This record gives sequence, C-alpha cells and structure tokens, in this order.
Amino acid sequence: MLQLKILLVDDEKEFVTTLAERLELRNMHVEIATDGEMALSMIEADPPQVVVLDVMMPGLSGMEVLVRIKAIDPKIQVILLTGHGATKDGIKGMQLGAFDYLIKPVDIDELIEKLNEAAKNVV
Amino acid sequence: MDKIKSKEILFFGKITAGITHEIKNVLAIIQESSGLMEDILDITPDETFTHKDKFHTSLKRILSQIDRGVDITTRLNKFAHSPDHSPANVDLNDVSEQMVLLASRFARLKNVVLNADPHDASITIKTHPVTLEMAIFESIEIILNALSSDGTITLVPRIAQDRYVFGIRYEGTVPAEDEVSLSVSSSEGWKSLQNTMAYLGGTAEAVDSALEIRLYFPQSINT
Repeated sequence: MLQLKILLVDDEKEFVTTLAERLELRNMHVEIATDGEMALSMIEADPPQVVVLDVMMPGLSGMEVLVRIKAIDPKIQVILLTGHGATKDGIKGMQLGAFDYLIKPVDIDELIEKLNEAAKNVV
Repeated sequence: MDKIKSKEILFFGKITAGITHEIKNVLAIIQESSGLMEDILDITPDETFTHKDKFHTSLKRILSQIDRGVDITTRLNKFAHSPDHSPANVDLNDVSEQMVLLASRFARLKNVVLNADPHDASITIKTHPVTLEMAIFESIEIILNALSSDGTITLVPRIAQDRYVFGIRYEGTVPAEDEVSLSVSSSEGWKSLQNTMAYLGGTAEAVDSALEIRLYFPQSINT
C-alpha cells in the first residue's frame, strides 16, 4: 500500500508538530507548514496528495491558500480545519473546491477517515 | 439602548469570541499531545512499563476534560456571537441547551442541577438574542434566590396554544408556598425580569402551583 503524503498547515506550530507525529505513527508521510506562503512553496516544490489547512491564519488566510492550491493543481485534495461556530467557512471552502472540513480540535480517527476518503479522490 | 452601550456589547462579544478561539487552540494542542502519549503507550509492551494502566487512566481523564473544555468554550463562543445580529432568528431549544452550560455553575453553587427539556421540534422566534438569554438567566437567578438549596431546575421551551413559552421549572424541596410566591413576585429580580420581557414584547408569569416562571414571547419582535 502506498504511503499517503500529507501537508499540515496551521500557524500553531505545537499543534501541527504533534499531529504530524501521530499521523506518522499511522504510516503516513507528513510535512508541516506554519503559514500560507510556506505551504504554497512546499506544494509547488513537492505536491502532497492531501493538504489539511487551518482556515484562520495570520497573513494569507486558509481560503486564499485553498484557492491558490487549486490553481496550482486541482487534483490536490484539501481538508479545512475550522473553529466551532464557523461551519459557514467550511461550506464556503467546499464551494471553493475543498474536499471537506473538520472542526478543531479534531478527532484523530475522524481525520484519518477523511484523509483516506480524500486520497481516493486523487486521480 | 443608547449607541455606546450597543457598541460596548459588540466589543465585549468580539473580544470574548476571539479569546475562545485561542483557548480552543490551547485545548487542541493538549489533546494532540495527550493523544500522542496514548499512541506511544499503545505500542509499548506491557512488561516494559509497570505503570502503563495508571498512565492510560490519567490520559483518559485529561482527554475527557478537554472534551468538557471544548464544550464550554464552544458555548461561550456562541454566546459571545449573540450580539452580532439583533434581532435574529433563534431556536428556543438551542437556547435552553446553551443556557444550561452557561448557567450551570451558578446553580451548582446552590446544589441545584440545571438541565434542559427541549421540545420535539425546533421553536424559532425572532428576537434580541442577548436580551432573551438575559431574561432566562434572570429567571434562573430568581428561582435560585427563592430556594433554600438542592433540587433541579429544568428549562422547558414549548409552544402552547399558539404561544411561545419558555418555562423555568424547579423540582425539589419547595419552601412554604406563600413564602416562595412572596419572594419571587416581590424580589428585585422580578421587577427587572418584567422590564426585560417588556423590551422583548413579551411577559413573565410566576406559576403559583409550582415554583415555575413562564416567559411568553411573540413569534417576531416589533422593531
């Protein structure tokens, strides 16, 4: 089975670092970025299959990053992380091409399920 | 309400909502860190770690408190967003559950359990959300002040005879009936509640046969 390649994007470094470790324990290849510009550079250099993207970040917002990811390569699947009470952001993101959205803090099992579903959509 | 007061409430709500996002980020980091510890424990052979069970139990406790923290901050965030749009459509069932979480601590200090008994279907009215929440909270406080202690307060939103009713009902050891109705209807809080309900175009009623306050709302507030 091919190892799933994921990029986690969140300005909370402690959060993405720890989440990355947990996903790596589940045999996933995980890279992290702590802002939108960094994420876009990494995607252009070495595109992942799935990006897990926080909506609320300083600098480029998650929505802006989403639009630019889709412009780089529409096949890359994006799962948005939104805050509670921000389901509107999730829906808006899906209209902009996101695969789905999850509410933060995320349940690891739910995230893995979504990652696997998203990966199936990568042609 | 004068403009500066409205601005103050919006400001207060905006700052509080922003802080709840920060708290949730903290909770997310604690959740992932304790989750990672659980993951590592799961792949550690039992014989190499004498106190594995104790660590599992402690981590479960941490994760359960994170869930509790997330629930509280979610409600607080929703509450902080209440003034964003006013008047707005609100579901009285949602409000009952929201108020249980926000006001439980005040009840607990009197050994009273606060819970909600939502209606089967959603009950939506157009009103001022913050003032509505304030009216319910005032009612809870009136009942708590009228009680000695112990018992249960249930928030009961209903539609009865085409009227939108929100019941705040006490069950438990009730002091002598005269004493209760006297303390409810003559309390400072009762007058304040009447004013609050008048602002919402509704009324408040103290039910004599039980320790219950019923709030009656119009389906849509006149603005």
